[in-house]
Amino acid sequence: MSSRTHSKIRTTILAYLVVFISLIFFILPMLWIIYCSFRTQPSIFTGKVIPPLDEFTLENYATILSVTDFPTYFLNSFKIASAVTLLSLFCSVLGAYGLSRFDIKGKNALIMGIFSTQMFPQVLLIIPMYLIIFSLFLLDKVIGVVLGQMILVLPFQIWMLKGYFDNIPMDLDNAARVDGCNIAQRLLYVILPVAAPGIMVAAFFSFVVSWGDYLIVSIISQSQRTATVTLVIQRLSSALLIRWGQVAAATVLTIVPTIILFSLVQQRLVEGLTAGAIREE
Amino acid sequence: MGLMIKERQKGLLLILPTLLIMSLFTVYPLLDGLRMAFTNTHLLRDTVQYVGLDNFVRLLSDEIFWISLYHSVVLTAVVVLLQFVLGLILAWAMQQELPGMSLFKSIIMASWVIPVAATVIMFKFMAQPDIGLINIILKLIGFKELNRYWFGDLHAALPFIMLLHLWRNVPFYGVAFLAAMQAIPKSYYEAAEIDGASAWQSFVHITLPGIRSMIIVMVTIHVLWTFNNFDFIYLATGGGPVNATDVLPVYVYRQCWNSYTLGYGASIGSIMLIILMIYFVIYIRIYEKGAVSS
Repeated sequence: MSSRTHSKIRTTILAYLVVFISLIFFILPMLWIIYCSFRTQPSIFTGKVIPPLDEFTLENYATILSVTDFPTYFLNSFKIASAVTLLSLFCSVLGAYGLSRFDIKGKNALIMGIFSTQMFPQVLLIIPMYLIIFSLFLLDKVIGVVLGQMILVLPFQIWMLKGYFDNIPMDLDNAARVDGCNIAQRLLYVILPVAAPGIMVAAFFSFVVSWGDYLIVSIISQSQRTATVTLVIQRLSSALLIRWGQVAAATVLTIVPTIILFSLVQQRLVEGLTAGAIREE
Repeated sequence: MGLMIKERQKGLLLILPTLLIMSLFTVYPLLDGLRMAFTNTHLLRDTVQYVGLDNFVRLLSDEIFWISLYHSVVLTAVVVLLQFVLGLILAWAMQQELPGMSLFKSIIMASWVIPVAATVIMFKFMAQPDIGLINIILKLIGFKELNRYWFGDLHAALPFIMLLHLWRNVPFYGVAFLAAMQAIPKSYYEAAEIDGASAWQSFVHITLPGIRSMIIVMVTIHVLWTFNNFDFIYLATGGGPVNATDVLPVYVYRQCWNSYTLGYGASIGSIMLIILMIYFVIYIRIYEKGAVSS
């Protein structure tokens, strides 16, 4: 009996050690950049961890928000990510519902095909994609970026939502069908309410992927009209003379929306993301 | 019967928007990209000619291609292996029902949701000589002579890129493995305990087989994502210093959008695809064998 309490104590100590190291490794970098975003440039350059109080300032944020074009880029990011979320949800909810509930010819091959697009090198796909978007006159247009970013989001989203729908009992559909509901009614009134948590996670996923994309937007965006926050923080941080205080402030502003959304879906996130991999029998 | 056929057509209609977008922006670009690999397409030139295997012949003697290929393979192998092991350890810790653990679980995935560009800046900032947190800490514990810009160091740059991948993805692994672990019936562990199995034995014989399908999904998808990943390296080092961190996706991007040689870039991209297809085929073989035997 005492050997069991002994191993219990050992387990507790080890688990807390893992937690402690994880907090330092995963959380400290974020806290550090938030901390430094409130410090003056000279203060950061002293290399001190704890500077005197008068070296803290809101000036970095004031400059980023009023002197630079950052708000424009922030708005662009927001427009693009919202549009990507709406369009990809429309496609993936319908598609996943079709693949989950209907006996479509060649269904398994289709699912495999959608999944295997994860294997295609995006750097290869964007070469012809650039030419397509160019010939559709969508270069440097919000809609061009949105369509381009679809390929980052759709396959994983469908795979994930299909897994989620598969776990919803067929009986629900059948009961509604007996009651005379058509497909749209079944989807809207029966499936969507049950699948709402999964759909929220899917929406979160596409928003965050679009918000964080650099590859697609760096090719399709040509000007301030469509440039996003990821482009601008990259530009700020590779300037000849880097103003780290301002870079830190811009980076924090870039992170904030994703963290807010994360805190909203956090409890459902794992369940939703891994729905395709865990089957409830 | 007539109703069934109608239903089937409606099912097809439901996946139509997805199929349209995917054909236009994934399937067609893939085929066209493969075609371009045999041309001398140049972004700023209108005339395009088929050049046969010229691009691929050029590849064979392109030193940077081989360096990038080597880095890509090493990076993917090391990163996915470490993520898997560290993810297991993290999941094991989170499985213990201890005070504070639910708070920890709720914040730990934050690193996965923030933009890669922001992650890169955070680490570039910490890696700055003199003013970066890493160098400040090294100085505090007496390793002042190690002070350097870590992404600019020939030997440290690639391990540092690996660290970025771990930072972003290990929590995702941990949380995903944890979800799979919690789906294993408790009675299995109780039975093992009665039979006198040690904690390690029940981990190897109950936990690992229990989360097998999750492991397969996570590892497969991350092999593809890591091998194809472009932004970590492009944003952190651009492939430098002196090709020390060059990987295939970054090399393709530079060929296409800095040198404008789309055809040559496409041929390197095609090689990437072939490598991943070989991986995929081998993986499916192994997976099917495992499915039959279990």
